[in-house]
Amino acid sequence: MSLIIEVNKLCKCYKNIEAIKSVSLSIKPGEIYGLIGPDGSGKSSLMKVIAGVLSYKSGQLNVFGQRVDSEASAEIIKAKIGFMPQGLGLNLYPELSIDENINFFADLRDVPLAEREERKALLMTMMQLTDFRHRAMKNLSGGMKQKLGLICTLIHKPELVILDEPTTGVDPVSRRDFWQILSYMVRHEKMTALVSTSYMDEAERFHTLSLFYQGKILAQGEPDQILDSIQGWVALVHSQALFVCVQALSTQFTQVNIFGKAIRVVAYDISREDFEHQLKSILARCPKSHYQIESIDLEDAFIGLLRPKNKDQTVKPALDATKPNSIFDTNTLMIEAQNLTRQFGTFTAVDQVSFSVQSGQIFGLLGANGAGKSTVIKMLTGLLKPSKGKGQVSGADLNSSGQKIKENIGYMSQSFSLYADLTVVENLKLYGQIYAVPKKKLAKRIQWALQMGTLEQETHTLVGSLPMGLRQRLALGCALLHEPKVLFLDEPTSGIDPIGRQQFWTILVTLAKQSGVAILITTHYMSEAEHCDQLALMQAGKVIAQGSPTNLRQQVSDALGDVISMKVNQPYAALELLKKAHYDKAFLFGKRVHLFSSQVAQTQKKVLALLHQQAIEVLDVQHLPPTLEDVFVHFLESNKIQPTANLKPKESSSL
Amino acid sequence: MKWSRIKTISTKEWLEIWRDKLYLAMAFLIPVIMMVVLGFGMSMDVEKIPFVAIDYDKTEQSRDYLHNFSDSRYFDYQGMAANEKQAESMMDQNKIRFILIIPPGFQEKLQAGKKVQSQSLIDGLFTYQSKVVKGYVLAINANYNQQLLQNWFAKKQGMKPSDISAMLSPVSLETRYLYNEQMSSLWSTGSGMIMLVMLMAPALLTALGVVREKESGSIFNIYASTVTRTEFILGKLLPYIAISFLNLLVLTWMALVLFGVPFKGDPVLYLVASVLFVSCATGIGLFVSILVKTQASAALITLLGTMIPGMMFSGLLMPVSSMDTPAKIEAHLLPGMYELNIVWGSFLKGQGWSDLWGNMAILALYSMVLWGLAIWKFKKRVAS
Repeated sequence: MSLIIEVNKLCKCYKNIEAIKSVSLSIKPGEIYGLIGPDGSGKSSLMKVIAGVLSYKSGQLNVFGQRVDSEASAEIIKAKIGFMPQGLGLNLYPELSIDENINFFADLRDVPLAEREERKALLMTMMQLTDFRHRAMKNLSGGMKQKLGLICTLIHKPELVILDEPTTGVDPVSRRDFWQILSYMVRHEKMTALVSTSYMDEAERFHTLSLFYQGKILAQGEPDQILDSIQGWVALVHSQALFVCVQALSTQFTQVNIFGKAIRVVAYDISREDFEHQLKSILARCPKSHYQIESIDLEDAFIGLLRPKNKDQTVKPALDATKPNSIFDTNTLMIEAQNLTRQFGTFTAVDQVSFSVQSGQIFGLLGANGAGKSTVIKMLTGLLKPSKGKGQVSGADLNSSGQKIKENIGYMSQSFSLYADLTVVENLKLYGQIYAVPKKKLAKRIQWALQMGTLEQETHTLVGSLPMGLRQRLALGCALLHEPKVLFLDEPTSGIDPIGRQQFWTILVTLAKQSGVAILITTHYMSEAEHCDQLALMQAGKVIAQGSPTNLRQQVSDALGDVISMKVNQPYAALELLKKAHYDKAFLFGKRVHLFSSQVAQTQKKVLALLHQQAIEVLDVQHLPPTLEDVFVHFLESNKIQPTANLKPKESSSL
Repeated sequence: MKWSRIKTISTKEWLEIWRDKLYLAMAFLIPVIMMVVLGFGMSMDVEKIPFVAIDYDKTEQSRDYLHNFSDSRYFDYQGMAANEKQAESMMDQNKIRFILIIPPGFQEKLQAGKKVQSQSLIDGLFTYQSKVVKGYVLAINANYNQQLLQNWFAKKQGMKPSDISAMLSPVSLETRYLYNEQMSSLWSTGSGMIMLVMLMAPALLTALGVVREKESGSIFNIYASTVTRTEFILGKLLPYIAISFLNLLVLTWMALVLFGVPFKGDPVLYLVASVLFVSCATGIGLFVSILVKTQASAALITLLGTMIPGMMFSGLLMPVSSMDTPAKIEAHLLPGMYELNIVWGSFLKGQGWSDLWGNMAILALYSMVLWGLAIWKFKKRVAS
């Protein structure tokens, strides 16, 4: 079998910055190949190089057996490739309708008229866009834009599709549809797909993947292989004395994090027996504790792979058990929203949202781009007046005291809003003055912020040259200079690498649990939601479910059961078989088939027999609890909310 | 090269312009607005200069003298001021540009056959205008002197005024202006403005149109497809050339009707030359767009790069023949001068093919070079 893509020791430089440092990989026909890594790790550059739209410095690249090393040679392969660049719908034409967009791409690719209409009809039906075909692209929701982008990329029947972060910021239902369609196309059209993502939890969707970090590949192979290559274990510890327990565990293990009411401990390069033994001996000192050991996930693996290089860079504001955690009253209501509604013209961005956050609590607002998360935050921070409903933030009423609210809160926006041409300390000083922190106190607070963010080494570095993770911690420091009791964070972790994200969460948990700060955070990373005490899932301006992560998961478990995950040698055949046998909740995850069942043991027996009959080999079986993505999809479906119509008057085209 | 792909790109481009109301307004309104604002605003005529007079004499003779100024179409009489202080404060506030002071004893001295000195204070901030005003003042004053002399001779010698006039100024000079008979600056700047506006607007529109795709990322659709460079650039430019040509027709109509400029040349020649010039101007925008990455820088570079040469080195404000050598070279290197030759030649001079074909050939060459450069410089496989 000849390879579709062969990359050998490829290097790419932008002026003096090395974006790709000697990367090699090969992709077989019919594969769904994944590139996973944080922003700026070189994924996009590599995809552009392979698509023949970006030149490279050294190394070799063969696509369809053709050496690509010049503009002329790149032209040869372009007819067989479909490329969708990063940024949802950014490559589409906002003023054109769905139909016109597709026609443009088809005509650009010389698809004959009859074939174009036939294929367009097929793809639009598959993506459920037929009813919207005359709607202008600028009025589509994120999920619809993603689907339209996919149609435009597929319209000329490419043999290779290159999709750069097609699922970033898209709602879970659209994401699940996307993966279903992609695996269908790959199978039925003998296509090969190269897909990138910054979501670690999407790794299992790929047949083969490469983990990217700072322009290099950390690990390569099938998802299971990568996990197996790193020996590591996770323990979820529950204890009555949470802080004592954390303190005790931190003496032995480097990775100890609080997840809501549980403690998550990760250990690498250790056998399960040894890990359990160590854990037991420590927990003997903690009253009424119990634990549960699992194998690590890919995010842990990523951190594990980076660990040796980052030993001295870890943030250690670990909880101080000597400090009593009752210095604040946990029952003080810090944020309260009652039926908050906000309309822009006829469009309702936020629809009767109600929730409350107490001091010391981390509250997560989860949803896709455009679900209304940022609008909720803007109303609560006094930047936007609610159309209807009321609320209060640390005792100040939303409708009447906008200015008072602003004095009492810390706010960190999506873009961090730091000044790139100022140094770290200058930024802190500026924000201190903006928040009117008294001069004497400011010096102390700046010291505190530097220490909190482990920024002591970087005091005089220009912010523009700081890595994303440090910038994020600096922005957090700026938002906390005036010691607010309420903190709002609007997607603070988008595109940051797992280590940076973990360090950031360590700080947030410390702030909440030790200083009693009430934190409201928005994110579209499902995996991050686990850190929160309470969650609200948002879709199309509405809260569709609320509760603790455990509680929400339990609700889904009760309704649908747990997941049976089977690794099979013929995944497509297996899926088809199960669908025929009316297992409608069967989904493909790379080489695994996932199936929901409320009677796990019984179903498993039946299914294994069924597969055995058709000579499909089952390599292993696992039982998994529902993920938060499952939770989201479940509540969306049971609420019958279609994540489709979005008639929000989007920002006018840039000029 | 496939015509179908060029058509695909052109159609898409046109649909985008048509549906994006802001862009559409920009495409069609900006040239018209520029034409009106610059056409009237850049008028170099010095007329209706506001002025006040201070008459310390207040006699029949002094009023007669003042009338020579206030009746002139070059001056706009704002009334009498009591003293210099009052008048100067009006000058400070930019209400007037010129003060006329008639000294006491004006009539008395003149009647006694003595010399009198009146005074004019002129705002010197606008040097060109000030010089023109000084010229007017001297001319009116000289005219008045001659009148006095004529009257005196008439009274003393009993001669006919025409004989006296023939005696006092035997050589009379007859001046006639060619091309712009009425010396209306609207005629020359108004029609010349077509050149300036149609240099700036198409360049700006084209540059933004291409860079817009780079900024949004949709240019990657082109990079990743099998469309050739020539197809893309032709497809992209055709709508802008069409829009610009339409605009040029509108501006021509404005020059004819709004500014009342006559058209003495060959309309066919003018239309052919216009197509060439519009291709040239879009070529400039295209070339800029290939070099830059953001709409802001594209707009800035195109505007500066077309406005300054278009005004200073085209012959619009100063004839190319009276420029110093470096400026002259610069004027010959830029397309503005050639188009201005064609516009003025067609509107005011009534020149035809035999006079203007050279200018047209240069414009054609110019656009071919720009387009060629743009196609050559456009890469479908970029470095960053």
